[in-house]
Amino acid sequence: MTRIRWGAYLAFAKQAMAREATYRFDVFTNIGSVLVRLYLLRTVWVALYSQNAAPVGLPLHAILTYSAVALLFGLVMDIDQTHALYERLHDGSIASDFLKPISVPFFYFADGTGEVVFHALLILPALALALLVVHIDVPTAATCAVFALSALLGYTIGFLLNFVLNCSAFWTLEISAVQMIVTWLTGILGGELIPLTLFPPWLRSIVDVLPFASIFSTPLSIYVGTIAPDAYARALGVQTLWALGFGLIATVAWRTGVRRIVVQGG
Amino acid sequence: MPIVETSSLRKVFRSIQRDPGLGGAFRALFSREYDETVAVDDVSFVLEPGELVGYIGPNGAGKSTTIKMLTGILVPTSGLVRVAGIEPHKHRQQNAQNIGVVFGQRSQLYWDLPLRESFALLRSIYDIPRNRFDANLAAFSELLDLDEFMSTPVRQLSLGERMRGDFAAALLHEPPVVYLDEPTIGLDIVAKEAIREFIAAMSRERGTTVILTTHDLADVERLCSRIVLIDDGRVIYDGPLAALRERYGTHRTLIVHLAESCEDLTVDDAEIVKREPMTVHYRFDRRRISAEALVRRVTEKCSLADIAITEPDIENIVRGIYTAGYA
Repeated sequence: MTRIRWGAYLAFAKQAMAREATYRFDVFTNIGSVLVRLYLLRTVWVALYSQNAAPVGLPLHAILTYSAVALLFGLVMDIDQTHALYERLHDGSIASDFLKPISVPFFYFADGTGEVVFHALLILPALALALLVVHIDVPTAATCAVFALSALLGYTIGFLLNFVLNCSAFWTLEISAVQMIVTWLTGILGGELIPLTLFPPWLRSIVDVLPFASIFSTPLSIYVGTIAPDAYARALGVQTLWALGFGLIATVAWRTGVRRIVVQGG
Repeated sequence: MPIVETSSLRKVFRSIQRDPGLGGAFRALFSREYDETVAVDDVSFVLEPGELVGYIGPNGAGKSTTIKMLTGILVPTSGLVRVAGIEPHKHRQQNAQNIGVVFGQRSQLYWDLPLRESFALLRSIYDIPRNRFDANLAAFSELLDLDEFMSTPVRQLSLGERMRGDFAAALLHEPPVVYLDEPTIGLDIVAKEAIREFIAAMSRERGTTVILTTHDLADVERLCSRIVLIDDGRVIYDGPLAALRERYGTHRTLIVHLAESCEDLTVDDAEIVKREPMTVHYRFDRRRISAEALVRRVTEKCSLADIAITEPDIENIVRGIYTAGYA
């Protein structure tokens, strides 16, 4: 068993951050667009609530908080953290990754996480602005801690889902259409755009058995309080199960894919 | 103790047999018939530490497949492969620490990064102690003239600069074994010479074991005392370059410049391979006729202004073996 070289993975993450910093010179445009989107969201929900009775358990300030946090969370979650896998398979440079004394999937994970951390740091100014544009409820420290844990689990599931999708590049080099559909499904069925509590019951029962809710809806619902403290354990448990399940699928997909190039050559 | 060892190494690629068309694709889902391609049939060789060996053969002979098995990215179908005491495919990461690889056709540097940062990243990847890293980088910068483009992103480097960068990158962690796959391809004569000089210095001063795959036989002539020649996945010659030349380089060429035009030029034991009005090339086997005797026979027929004899170069010898097969 080889020793894990933490230094190398840290270096990959730092490198990814530096890369994002040079390529994403549109940092300020991003913050501007966040501001506009927040303002639009607020306008839409305020108009809807003034025309209709507020749904049970979701008063206006709660839905505004939910939408604003979802938007900011989405800025991080919508990044495909494992696109390095696809790109390096596509141009063949994955071969040189295998010539290095590193775990190749960990390399991609470190690279993607560096990218995500960079974008998470960018959210801080947007968060401050969000507080000015729309009022955001800030829950208790305890709820914030559970939210953080749940968000981390959601991130892990999202990462593994993307990883599995990118693994399909071992068999076919055209994956962008499938990826778009999955991103779209995650946005709708995961509760990024509209809280799942507003879905009709029949749709709700379908969504509840799909993994997408564990990515977005669960941490957000914990944040705004539609998941009450006595349901935390169950919610986090479901997320953990999805994370483990996708972990298993990702492992199998990776091993089978690597076997394909390692044993067969190419 | 040998540092690189292969024994009856074999690699067969299998692909599911498929009839053309949609029906064929469908049947292939259930079929268990395979097409087999033997890339490496039976390759055995042993390298002692510090050897610099030319691994040559025509395209498709199995050179790259062998190299891939030595790096651990391909799993052998059967046979043994051992590098620095390790079976590469079983301990890929551990093996990676012991080897350096340079591909002429593909850079291993990080495309977006300046050379300097690529090297810093490699320091983390291979966990190179700071003092060794600094010393090696200083030495390579001097030998390969890296300083002038150290801060340039790799994508902007010329091929020659990139190759020099790739060599430094592959050797920073002081690997005892280095595989060079066509490292001089596409380079101009000056860049080629710089790379050859560097390879020779690595071998001489650090005792690095080098396997050099190339189609440029000038590389081999300049650097390798031993060559392993493969064809159709089998080793057909393994030994000193000089012996190959001795054994197969039996034909020389006599070039004569005529003093006056001459009709009948045919002589026994020599074949006219090229005929111009005033110049004739004879190919002859030095075991059958000496150069002196041949010149005498030609002068009996025509008067000569000048003569020259050319030795066979390694390229011609190898071409002869490729086309005629090993007898």
